[in-house]
Amino acid sequence: MKSSYGLRNRGTAETKPFLCSRVPLVIAALAVLLFCANANSWGQDAAAFFKQNCTSCHTIGGGRLTGPDLKDVTTRKDRAWFVQFLQSPKAIIDSGDPYAAKLQQEARGVVMPNIANLSPQQAQALLDMIAAESKLPRSQFAGMQISDRPLTAQDVAKGKLVFLGEQRLSGGGPACMSCHTMKGLTLLGGGRLGPDLTRVYERLLGRKGLAAWLSSPASPTMSPVFKDHAIQPDEILSLVALFEDSAKKGGQDDTTSLLNFFLLGVGGMVLGLISLDALWKTRLRGVRRSMVHKDDRGEG
Amino acid sequence: MNVRSQVSMVFHLDKCIGCHTCSIACKNIWTDRKGTEYMWWNNVETKPGTGFPTRWEDQERYKGGWEKKNGDLELKSQNKSSALFNIFHNPNQPTLDDYYEPWTYDYQNLFNAPEGADQPTAKPISMITGEYINVEAGPNWDDDLGGSPVYAQNDPNLESLTPEQREQLFATERLVFFYFPRICNHCLNPACVAACPSGALYKRGEDGIVLIDQKRCRGWRACVAACPYKKTYFNWSTGKSEKCILCYPRLETGQAPACFHSCVGRIRYLGVLLYDAARIEEVAKLPDDQLIEGQRSLILDPFDPEVIAGARANGIHDSVVESAQKSPVYQFVKVWKLALPPHLEYRTFPMLFYVPPMSPVMASKEGGVIDHVSGDLFHDIEQSRVPVAYLAKLLGAGQENKVRYALRKQKAVRWYRRALTVGDVTMEVSSRMLAEADCSSEEAEAIYRLTSLCTFEDRFVIPPMHREEAIQMMEDPLEHKASAGFGFVSGPQRGM
Repeated sequence: MKSSYGLRNRGTAETKPFLCSRVPLVIAALAVLLFCANANSWGQDAAAFFKQNCTSCHTIGGGRLTGPDLKDVTTRKDRAWFVQFLQSPKAIIDSGDPYAAKLQQEARGVVMPNIANLSPQQAQALLDMIAAESKLPRSQFAGMQISDRPLTAQDVAKGKLVFLGEQRLSGGGPACMSCHTMKGLTLLGGGRLGPDLTRVYERLLGRKGLAAWLSSPASPTMSPVFKDHAIQPDEILSLVALFEDSAKKGGQDDTTSLLNFFLLGVGGMVLGLISLDALWKTRLRGVRRSMVHKDDRGEG
Repeated sequence: MNVRSQVSMVFHLDKCIGCHTCSIACKNIWTDRKGTEYMWWNNVETKPGTGFPTRWEDQERYKGGWEKKNGDLELKSQNKSSALFNIFHNPNQPTLDDYYEPWTYDYQNLFNAPEGADQPTAKPISMITGEYINVEAGPNWDDDLGGSPVYAQNDPNLESLTPEQREQLFATERLVFFYFPRICNHCLNPACVAACPSGALYKRGEDGIVLIDQKRCRGWRACVAACPYKKTYFNWSTGKSEKCILCYPRLETGQAPACFHSCVGRIRYLGVLLYDAARIEEVAKLPDDQLIEGQRSLILDPFDPEVIAGARANGIHDSVVESAQKSPVYQFVKVWKLALPPHLEYRTFPMLFYVPPMSPVMASKEGGVIDHVSGDLFHDIEQSRVPVAYLAKLLGAGQENKVRYALRKQKAVRWYRRALTVGDVTMEVSSRMLAEADCSSEEAEAIYRLTSLCTFEDRFVIPPMHREEAIQMMEDPLEHKASAGFGFVSGPQRGM
């Protein structure tokens, strides 16, 4: 009893001073490590983040898409403003900031989406990265260099195959059809999860905007899907051709396929009921009523 | 020989007055619950008539019972593959309309109706939907030939008659009907048990009562389609099927089933029969004209030492064999051959037998004057108002001679008693009639006593049920000996 007590006492006596003296040091070291890791990773990831989240609307030195060209953007306004704007674009616009209002007007009313949990440090890192890229003669974010050649009927046909999934995306992503529909493709149209793409060419301001979107789709649904399965430039060109063709035809959004789908459902149900009725043709359909009413007729 | 015991029944149709007391007794005890409103485990039909459910004897449509196919016995309603295919929709179900939509009346209206020029009425309300309904059918809608141009003339048994006979049956002063009370027949070869996909139906080993295990029943309703007598019913509230249980809780305590107990006309007899289970399949495959003799051959003589030894070997208690020896059913069915099974051609071997009814006196018509006083009080069987062919279709599997035998014997007993008590018939004539009817004067006396003077104990020879032995087959009665308390039938629920 006594010895075990002594043993335990000795144990604590040995460990306690060790912890007491070293705890602040350990915490400090860990904090530094964590901070470095964080800062480091954001130093490297700012470019990746930009590619993932920004390039569908912005270029650096590639001209305007939906959002403005960001070459030398840091010189246009002070840094603090940009940090605030990046953290909550809508709040700045709502506050009646004149510059933000001008930006919104230029973007034809489109508000830059909020980036969730973007810390001031991350915003700074992004701005640093943009400033650095702006100094390069040619930034890696100069935008998708899509061919200017006139798009042919073959491109449209290929785009259609890609859209329908008859030709698989070489990056391994799912076919457009799984979530989107478009006028004049098939009788029943495509999926209804994403928006109708009949007039997407106009919405995304033509070939360049469309190509930028397709090279890194930024919507919460598409982004995680296509993050590791990028659409290849030749496929983008074909799809652009398809969307351009569709927009030129001036179609309205696809409503016929919805009607077709409904009619098919109704028709299928009717056919199913008829076949079930035929299958159980000899079932017992009630004895009394037919007996009584047959006799009624016989008498009358 | 595989000796089994079966609680069997005889209904003496000549005594039935059609009062429906049996139906009410049964209803009040067993089927006054939600979901059972339309069920009549016991019902009384008027014959000729379509019965309950409507035209239940029409197996072309209801597909009940067995049929012989390629020398084998098969259910008419299903085989293994069609049972599986139709498991979620059994195509041979009677509709609710074929039974009837149960109703009550809006009695509150009699008290609550606003003051008006007319007396308030209690309108019928469906007991299923709660809506007002227009009552179009009931369980005994054609009682006493009500609506006979529609109902009686659609009786499937009339198919056995010639057009003249059919016409005569409904002619003025020839019109005739009799009552036909029905409960579950607790068959030897029950189609309902064979059809059940869940194995929920079983024939109780000790007394042959056919039951549905309410825990196992999944409500597939194959039994409803398969039973040719339509005596299993689906409870729409519990989602399980139910049927007559021959009041086994009453039998186990030595009481006659409620419908037997309450019978005003004392038409019902109950007693044990011993039968040979080993030969059921062989007999069930006999051609129609040998079925009645076949079923009789299944019923064993309880006085035969060999049978008694066989019963003992099968664990049938001596007291049950003793009870079988006193069984009035054995007398009616096997010894006197008076009682016949209903529609044996369905091959389920019903163990409820009917004594065919004698018809009323025939009137004669001369020059527009109808004479009710018949010179021939005990007229010839062939001149009966109910044609023998009709009774044969109902009770004789089409065999007129079996029905004629039973009727002739009943008639001879009447002449015999007439000679004894009234004396307007000579004993010589009555003896000749008895001889013609294959009946001795002792037998005639016994028939007379069991028919007319029978006491409660004569009619209901209820065997000791020996539940203690039956329970031993399923579980060990000493299981809880020396342990505290009696344990739990199902485990108690504890904790959160």
